Amino acid sequence: MSGVELTKLSPQERHKLISLPVNGQGLKTLVEAGMIWLKTNQQIVNNLNVFPVPDGDTGTNMVLTMQAAFDEIDQSGTKNIGQLARAIARGALMGARGNSGVILSQIWRGFARALDDQPTMDVKLLAEALLEAKETAYKGVVRPVEGTILTVIKDIAAQAEVSAQRTTVFTEVLADIVEAADASVERTPDLLPILKKAGVVDSGGKGLLCIFEGMWRFLNGDSLDKAITEVIPLSEMDLEDTMESVEPGQDYEVVIDFTPESTFDLENYYDELSKIGTSIQVGEGEGIYRMHIHVPLDKRYTPIDHTMTQGIIQKVMMENLVAQMEEKKTKKHPKINLAQVQPEETAVVAVSPGSGLSRIFASLGVAAIVQGGQTMNPSIKEVLASFENLPTDKVIILPNNKNIIMAAKEAASMTVKKVHVIPTISISQGISAMFRFIPDAELEENIASMVEAIDEVETGEITTATRSVEIDNVQVQKGQVIALHNGKLVTSTSNIDTATEELLIAAKTCDYERITLFYGEDMKLIHVNALADKIRSIYPDHEIEVHEGGQPHYQLIIAIE
Amino acid sequence: MSEIENNYNKLGSILIQKEAIASIARQSTLQSYGVVGLAPKNLIESIHQLLKKDAKYGVEVDFDHEGLLIDLYIMVEYGTRIKSITNSIVNSVKYNVEKTIGLPVRRINVHVRGLRISNMD
Repeated sequence: MSGVELTKLSPQERHKLISLPVNGQGLKTLVEAGMIWLKTNQQIVNNLNVFPVPDGDTGTNMVLTMQAAFDEIDQSGTKNIGQLARAIARGALMGARGNSGVILSQIWRGFARALDDQPTMDVKLLAEALLEAKETAYKGVVRPVEGTILTVIKDIAAQAEVSAQRTTVFTEVLADIVEAADASVERTPDLLPILKKAGVVDSGGKGLLCIFEGMWRFLNGDSLDKAITEVIPLSEMDLEDTMESVEPGQDYEVVIDFTPESTFDLENYYDELSKIGTSIQVGEGEGIYRMHIHVPLDKRYTPIDHTMTQGIIQKVMMENLVAQMEEKKTKKHPKINLAQVQPEETAVVAVSPGSGLSRIFASLGVAAIVQGGQTMNPSIKEVLASFENLPTDKVIILPNNKNIIMAAKEAASMTVKKVHVIPTISISQGISAMFRFIPDAELEENIASMVEAIDEVETGEITTATRSVEIDNVQVQKGQVIALHNGKLVTSTSNIDTATEELLIAAKTCDYERITLFYGEDMKLIHVNALADKIRSIYPDHEIEVHEGGQPHYQLIIAIE
Repeated sequence: MSEIENNYNKLGSILIQKEAIASIARQSTLQSYGVVGLAPKNLIESIHQLLKKDAKYGVEVDFDHEGLLIDLYIMVEYGTRIKSITNSIVNSVKYNVEKTIGLPVRRINVHVRGLRISNMD
């Protein structure tokens, strides 16, 4: 029987297929149901991957293993459950894919061994078989890691033993098992820290749960071909990344906020949406639902019409994805026009942590850029390579970071060119030095005026603390926003705005004229503009400029001159 | 040479003993599903193992200009699919070594030296 037919059966017909105690053909049907349900939820399991190890397709691996197991019994008409289980184990072993697949095959192997030559299986035997399955699974590894599929089969076996003493009804035991497996999967992050860190449950354990859940859903008359619909909190809806992948034909993105009627049925709603488009996400927060979908051009109003029937629409956002992708592509790699130096002129090499800052440096007359910053110091070789091919032998390097000055000096000593390092320790120092740069002036002249400029600028940096610590008498909690003034810690607060305000006070901004904000890759322009307005109201006589810096880690780099 | 130079730092060099790399490889091999133990590389090592615990037991680490070369000698549980198991070992050893040491792993050879039979089917 093919999978599609199985899901069409009514609950009565389903129960007829499983005669109790379960025989070979009954187990075959259950295994098929488990496999279909696992396949339906394959993507959900795949998404639980935490390791960047290529074992990341756990769901797919487990489906393929189960498919191989089922192929082995598909044509078998045996009523003997022991024989059938042995065939399943053989198929699973031969087709085991990935780590979780191998463990799954061991589970089947233990299960089959316990059934041995028994013709049928009652709940007592089921419990014994699951216990043997667990034993076999654990024997396969020297140092079992808890919080994985191993823990889940252990909890399943324990529950089966308890339930088998309580009742002789097969479906009741199966229901208990599914409940225990579900709880066990939910507990995996407590046992395995890496899962907790990634905010997921174990993928292999979830896959195993799906198999048992599928068997139970089948007997319960539930559908097997519709994935579990989960509502995620609004804050976790990741609408930025869904943009990255536009399926062909799905040109429009529609996002609708609405308050559903009391009769609202999420599963039905989801079903209807899946007929209209793809990349469906439904989020909920404080009674308001947000729906996200990608649809083709001619269906762009359909989700709105449909949602109208389900509740009151608050807001609709629609975007043409194809047009946006084009824009994004061109925006991502704008060309940086570096200054072309002539043989007799002086060239400046600047180290820059972000594309926006590189562009600013280029516009100020920098001839070469070296990628680098606080957490990614360029090597001596990289610095050397940046100016070796320039058509001039007079070079000035702006390291723009304390940790890079040394590498820049090393590079300077390794060339025949006349290279001078101006020890700028921050981006703002580098930029204000560049303001004084005159390409056709003498090298010494440039150096003198640029060094002078360094001291005329105050540098502020806003970033997030990566660990809890106490420096310069300031208590910092991990995750807090911290402000640095000329490299010294000024304050730590919960938000960027306060940090910036306190920083400006510490830098004695009143004595200066101009404030320039360079915002990093994690900062939104709207936020920066709002912040700039706030600063303008505090310092009405100052000139305030906002530039895209594109630097990582630092939300803001601030120059005060 | 039993030390591998990792990277040049402005204050000096970082040298990593092969034993250090071997123990990381060993650890993640033993945590891989299907592996029931490591095996001696040769007769001398099997005698040696009787006398003294060695981090390099069952693991061989070498390197060339392109990266690390790791050989693993393992025992596998009977009745498991060896191809899948060895694939997982290679992936997790490569991941763990590269993550902790920061040197690229160029090649990992897994030698299955024997099977342990806990249950006959």
